[in-house]
Amino acid sequence: MVGVKRQHDGAEKENEVKASRFMPMFEQFRDELDQHHDRRERIIKASRDITAASKKIIFSLQRVRTLNAEIPEKIAKETRDRAGAMQRQFFAIAPDLEGINAWRYQRQISGGIQEYMEAISFEHYLRTQTLITMEEASKSLPDTIDLTSDDYALGIFDLVGELMRFAITTIATTGALPGSTAEPGGRDVLIDLRSLRTSFQALDTTSCGGTGLGKDVEKKMEVMKTCVEKVETAVYGLIIRGRERPKGWVPDLADDRGAPVESY
Amino acid sequence: MADGMISARIFEDLQTKIDEDADVRDQIKVILQTLERQGRNAQSILSRAHSTPVAHLQPVIASAEGAIKDEVESIGKLAGVASNSPYYKYNNLWTREVQNVVFAVLLCGWLGGMAMPNKPAEPGKLLTIEEVGEILNVPVNLKDRDAFHLTIEEYLQSLITLIEELARLAVNSVTLGDYQRPLQISQFVKDLHAGFQILNLKNDSLRRRSDSIKYNVKKIEDIVYDLSLRNLVPKST
Repeated sequence: MVGVKRQHDGAEKENEVKASRFMPMFEQFRDELDQHHDRRERIIKASRDITAASKKIIFSLQRVRTLNAEIPEKIAKETRDRAGAMQRQFFAIAPDLEGINAWRYQRQISGGIQEYMEAISFEHYLRTQTLITMEEASKSLPDTIDLTSDDYALGIFDLVGELMRFAITTIATTGALPGSTAEPGGRDVLIDLRSLRTSFQALDTTSCGGTGLGKDVEKKMEVMKTCVEKVETAVYGLIIRGRERPKGWVPDLADDRGAPVESY
Repeated sequence: MADGMISARIFEDLQTKIDEDADVRDQIKVILQTLERQGRNAQSILSRAHSTPVAHLQPVIASAEGAIKDEVESIGKLAGVASNSPYYKYNNLWTREVQNVVFAVLLCGWLGGMAMPNKPAEPGKLLTIEEVGEILNVPVNLKDRDAFHLTIEEYLQSLITLIEELARLAVNSVTLGDYQRPLQISQFVKDLHAGFQILNLKNDSLRRRSDSIKYNVKKIEDIVYDLSLRNLVPKST
């Protein structure tokens, strides 16, 4: 049998943990912190699932070859199903993100939201050849989930990478750039990419102080520049050498996979 | 150019939001500069407790209470600005200074200051998070509203700083010939340590800092041991 703990003068010591006068206070703190951590875990998990679903949607949409037209039904059905599952995810965690908690867990949900932004803005562009506004994007999310301007903008940054891929794949498989300047006021993907790039260049993020949109802004602009140049090079190749290449020839896109645009 | 793709308002609105956010951050930083200065002042007054015998502590406490009152005023200004935005959007900017104020309040209270209506001041007392909130005139652990408040994490971080400070005070009390206080500190810190042990902390700064509590517990135990070895422990408590 273990001996009894004693004080320095020989008196018995009570079990320290039980006797702590602050225990009720800490028990309350423990419950609060546990709730917070559980919420955080749920949101991290949902963000991961939303990211995965969004990536799959983008992957499906990359099979579209037209611009300014409804998405072909086969692809649309796939994306609808995935989008439906994603909406259920959003609704499931909406209570955890209510009120003061919306910004509390912003960092945890941000990844999922940005990937979601990439997916819906890509889908919107394919159908309408325009950039989805923040209001439109916000509306597609449940009421209690906030779309921050940072997540909106960062999602659009990533959209540029997808547009590049879309442009190059379409050139390779159809021998033409998506969109056309044939009619007055017509635009092709390259023109649209260039507008996106100049719009972002014009944004002054120096006051962000290295956070949010201002973070890594030089690197992001460099990536955007590279995306535009890849499309310009592909168009050049089309014009110079297009006639020599059999239709359906696909260029080696292996080095595109490593584009840092994906890493958010 | 190709203004058909991008509605002009989109990037105008983005720029506006960036600029508005920068404005709010600037306003907050101005207040924090003052609060930081006031914090250093309060700390320097409170640090006199390490070289002042308990019997002569009252003037130090009174002076510290005055310094804390100034800090409370700044906290009020901060709360005013901060409450116009979501709490968790900018709280990283001020949390360190807020923790410093909470620590000053806790230490002053422990030394026997910060008396409140219906709550007499007595040395060795721990102010609860609610009491600290009352003194600072801010809500605590706010959940149903989005406004400036004191969080549990901030209170806990300040408690850890208090423990570190008391460990140092235990050493200096002996130097001042006060052999009673180290015993009081020892029991107090052990009780806090027991409380921290039941928290389920994750891998964050709170967890890392709370790991240091046990070293302070030991440091104080060693002092008590040194005293008892030399028969300096007061018999009645």
